[in-house]
Amino acid sequence: MNTSLIINAENIAYKVNDFKLFHNLSFTVEKGEALHVQGANGSGKSTLLRIILGITNQTKGKIEINSEKGISYLGHKNALKNYLSLEDNILLMELDDHLDLLKYIDLLGLKKLLEVNVANLSYGQQKKLALLRLFLNESDLIVLDEPFVGLDDNTQEILSNFLKDQLNKNKGIIYTSHISCSLESKILLLK
Amino acid sequence: MKILRLEYLKLRKKTRSWLGPILVFWLIMLAYPLTVEFLQDKLEIGFFSVLWIAILISMMLATEDIFIEDYNDGSLEQIMIKNSSFQFLVSMRIVIYWLMIGVPISGLSFFFSLGTTEEIFLSLSIFPLALISSYIFLNLFVLGNALSLNKGSLLGALVTMPLALPVLIVLGKSVISIQLGINFLEFILLLLGCLSIIMIIVPVIVSYIIKAHLE
Repeated sequence: MNTSLIINAENIAYKVNDFKLFHNLSFTVEKGEALHVQGANGSGKSTLLRIILGITNQTKGKIEINSEKGISYLGHKNALKNYLSLEDNILLMELDDHLDLLKYIDLLGLKKLLEVNVANLSYGQQKKLALLRLFLNESDLIVLDEPFVGLDDNTQEILSNFLKDQLNKNKGIIYTSHISCSLESKILLLK
Repeated sequence: MKILRLEYLKLRKKTRSWLGPILVFWLIMLAYPLTVEFLQDKLEIGFFSVLWIAILISMMLATEDIFIEDYNDGSLEQIMIKNSSFQFLVSMRIVIYWLMIGVPISGLSFFFSLGTTEEIFLSLSIFPLALISSYIFLNLFVLGNALSLNKGSLLGALVTMPLALPVLIVLGKSVISIQLGINFLEFILLLLGCLSIIMIIVPVIVSYIIKAHLE
């Protein structure tokens, strides 16, 4: 695999029972490049991301991932514990000793909410907390499934700027989004 | 050790999950004398059967939500992506559940046994049996829960319940051996042998089952 490539997918296919979700899908993601996966609801965008993450196996084809520092993922589920406070959730994410933790807590406006239980937060606030996992991860591939949903304009801009910054650091990004963003990306259209 | 600390934090804050099974055990053991005559001889006849079944039911309840929450909120996906060892996570989670639920129940077993039989040696011998059996039952029901992760825990419990039956038989025989003063240590070693196999095999199987569910 070419060392500048982070993802190299060749002829990927995925079938549910006899229904072909997608087939012969080939694409690459290079270092410093973003790939925007587009398509209608049910076209297999999230499934494709799960295949890249190694959670789901493709029916056919080959996919190579070259990410030495791992993958960070933000999906529809925030992986937060409702019965714990923000502070405890940060502990569970093992981000408590990260040098930039306070900076991002401040930036996302979560400072006053540290002792509040996640169950008492709005969906947007919960998503901001989930963003911390993304912001403080040093992996070289970022996989995002509808990352802008539920975020206010200001946080959407923070996320866009973060992603641009990651591209400048030669990381690869693959994402799905029905909300337009200013991130310069290649497009992969699923029909 | 960090994973143990984090698992402890999660379970400690879910009061219903750890206190519920202990209370159920306590209620069963309290209710037992009410169903028979209060004569010590009569109480002793069925006491140990009720004790083992109470431990079995409490462990079944303890594992009710052991994975479903992580499955629903996406935590299991994050663990899988991080390439963390599922097997290790399952083992550590069982250890924490045992420490917070199995050990207190075993302690209560000693006191209930002492209160019923008034025999200190017998009650002291019951304590390690309760410790080992609670750990075995916990592992078995964790396996059942993993099997029926998205279909409700009752189905999983029904599937794995037959595996607990030989353990119940050994526990019954162990009590007789204590009372007769023969071979008690051999029964403990037999249960420890079973436990040592189960505590290695179950996390491996469970980790494969969870991965299959995620897919």
